[in-house]
Amino acid sequence: MRLANFPKSANALWLPIGLLGAGLSCFAQPGGNGVPNDPGVQTDNRGTGATIINPANDPNGFTAFFQDGLKRMQAVESVSNSATGNNGLGPRFNSNSCSSCHAQPAVGGSGAQINPQFQFASNGVAPGNAMPDFITANGPTREARFPFFSNSGGGVNTSAPNGGVEDLFTVAGRSDAGGCSIQQPNFQAAEAANNIIFRIPTPVFGAGLIENLDDSTLLQNLANNLNNNLGISGTFNHNGNDGTIARFGWKAQNKSLQIFSGEAYNVEMGITNLLFPQERPSPEEDQHGTGLGAGCLSLTGTGYPEDASNPHSTSAAVLDDVSAFANFARFSAPPAPGQVTLDGHPIAPPSIPSGQAMFSSIGCANCHNPTPGTTQVSNLVPALSHAPVPAYSDLEIHHMGTGLADNVSQGGAGGDQFRTAPLWGLGQRIFLLHDGRTTDLLQAIAAHASQGSEANTVVQNFNNLNPTQQQDILNFLRSL
Amino acid sequence: MVAGEIMRYLASSFKFQKYVCGIGGRNMRFRFSNPFLILVASLSSPIWAQRATPQATAPTSDAVGGVVMKVPSGVILVKGAWSSSSDSETPVPEGGSVTGSVFTDPYFGMTYTLPTDWIEKYQGPPPSDTGRYVLGQFSPAITSKGHARGSILVSAQDLFFTRTPAINAVELINYMKDHLQADYKVERPLQQMKIADRAFLSFGYWSPAAELHWYVFATQIRCHALEIVLTSHDTQLLEDLTVELSKMKLPPEANPVGGTGGGAFPSCIIDYVSDQNLVTRVNPVFTEHRYNQIPVRIIIDKMGKVKHIHFISAFPDQAKAITDALGQWKFKQYIKDGQATEVETGILFGPQSVR
Repeated sequence: MRLANFPKSANALWLPIGLLGAGLSCFAQPGGNGVPNDPGVQTDNRGTGATIINPANDPNGFTAFFQDGLKRMQAVESVSNSATGNNGLGPRFNSNSCSSCHAQPAVGGSGAQINPQFQFASNGVAPGNAMPDFITANGPTREARFPFFSNSGGGVNTSAPNGGVEDLFTVAGRSDAGGCSIQQPNFQAAEAANNIIFRIPTPVFGAGLIENLDDSTLLQNLANNLNNNLGISGTFNHNGNDGTIARFGWKAQNKSLQIFSGEAYNVEMGITNLLFPQERPSPEEDQHGTGLGAGCLSLTGTGYPEDASNPHSTSAAVLDDVSAFANFARFSAPPAPGQVTLDGHPIAPPSIPSGQAMFSSIGCANCHNPTPGTTQVSNLVPALSHAPVPAYSDLEIHHMGTGLADNVSQGGAGGDQFRTAPLWGLGQRIFLLHDGRTTDLLQAIAAHASQGSEANTVVQNFNNLNPTQQQDILNFLRSL
Repeated sequence: MVAGEIMRYLASSFKFQKYVCGIGGRNMRFRFSNPFLILVASLSSPIWAQRATPQATAPTSDAVGGVVMKVPSGVILVKGAWSSSSDSETPVPEGGSVTGSVFTDPYFGMTYTLPTDWIEKYQGPPPSDTGRYVLGQFSPAITSKGHARGSILVSAQDLFFTRTPAINAVELINYMKDHLQADYKVERPLQQMKIADRAFLSFGYWSPAAELHWYVFATQIRCHALEIVLTSHDTQLLEDLTVELSKMKLPPEANPVGGTGGGAFPSCIIDYVSDQNLVTRVNPVFTEHRYNQIPVRIIIDKMGKVKHIHFISAFPDQAKAITDALGQWKFKQYIKDGQATEVETGILFGPQSVR
């Protein structure tokens, strides 16, 4: 017990626990030396990555669709001539498999501790490429964007917003890529000009629940939360086609899991599909009106779209990959909470509910809404009907200030606005915030405060807590 | 504060704002002549005085016409819906700033001296599309091991656009008190009180879990509920901060059920935009269909023309379309006490909210 180093109030809280018996003495003590610590990534088995479907109550047989999606998430794509038929990669890409980025703690999650991108230049995936210095062996799996276009002299034109994904790698040098030899973007110049931002993969666990929340529930939540003493006033990003609330992606720019999957397949892996049938030029090729060079078109040799239904000309009706990915996400179970250990010792049981109560009391839950609602009736599986959605997100976009702003606009979200990141599964996430800049919860919380952020008052409330209380919140967060 | 004092105060505030706020922004401590600022303004709204983006430090890039060799850090250049106004001289609610240890908001005629050694570390977000403003956030400059002693939030809710069923600050605060989330317990009942010789409503609540206490003070100025919220573990500190509020200066109209302008300010009237008062109305023609609410606060001159437009939250193309339209609007003269009088009111464009 490290009570001697605790503030008086902390001792008062923990003394009765210490008196309960020797059996409790192995509990980790929060806030040793008066400084709270992030318990870090929890490694216990929480069953993350399973399906939400109860096989005994799956009248339409969607469990098989989940399993099919899971398998395809792990498929490794080639440019052409794949023995498994998984072709279409590139000509630009960030990775060659969904599960290489959506990996932690299970397929469908966020980036893993070992970044597979770091090996791509040496393991044959991107042999003709230089490794950008922001991709490291144990750093976050990332995509990059240039907020603004540059001119030929190296200057950045801040009157010309870009914001599109600049894929890290090209197929140049691959034996299955024909004569396509396009160059990587000039990341060094972008870094020197401070004209580059990063994003990490968003986990898809429980995404089917989010997809099946009706708009009226979300709008009512927004109305109920407006009259707060926290300086928080969110809004929604909307789908431009039908005006309904968009809800997937770091800025809630994607309407549905189908769109989310199709865009990722095209943008992150360069695979054209039924939703995005054209090869994607780089943002600069698009801006200059040149498009993708002819030498890098039709590399697969099968025509477009590269991902289609009945991919191997079977007589049976087989889904396209994008639909399979969407099914995998849609039928993934939400991450289950678990116990928390700190420095190898379990957290004392009262800490987590105490942290949960404080998380709500200081205003975190105003945006990170523990239960934004109950799903509407699903036409797919009973598990998605009338189901609670413990996402810890209001799915609104909020001004997050200059500290987090990335100067990328997507839909109605401006350069400083982000969707409230769902916190379910946070206990087993390694890299935090939209760009993976930190692995420390305390730093992530602190980053919520900056000039112009809606979270400033809440972060101040967090700072108003004593170290033991702050530790309880950290413990609670790692229990999610 | 008598009317003459208010006028002198406002005059000095205008002068202050030109220097401190640059292009009409919040507390930007650099001059309008900085070429980068001109660039920022032109990016977001070439016609109107766009409310400037909060930023940590003045950019030092070698900007030439929109091309820079290095993108400045800590600056929001790509904005979504944001606030802006038709001129930089007329104060707007979010135009408050701290100089030295004094917070001043010319729009509300408010001056507040921060407690000793308290600072505004960060400014708040831009106004919301429901007319919610974070005017100031203050806390002690020095914390012990990250543990702060307390904080002060000064905010305002525009009664033109609130979605709370309230037409004045009394109803708004009552609604707030009656709809506190379950985490909180009321510990100080709602009461009327005088602060700085002005009428306020106040109540207090606390969180048993977090052991934090909140003291809420509210009055009404220019059809806005002005709220001051004190937060701390330490109720003695809250009592001390409450006493210090007596040093605040507010216009005479400040009153939870009054606060409808007049004197140095235009008369403010909720729902003034109606067929009964409008002679000529031209609807804006938007070039792009969006889905955001566009709350717009206007000041109508004595002749019935729109003299000032404050876009509380709008994309630049929306602001331009609305400006073009409002320039053609004509209201009947508003007569008060036998005199033609300026009127301040709000109008909502885009999807309509339900009050």
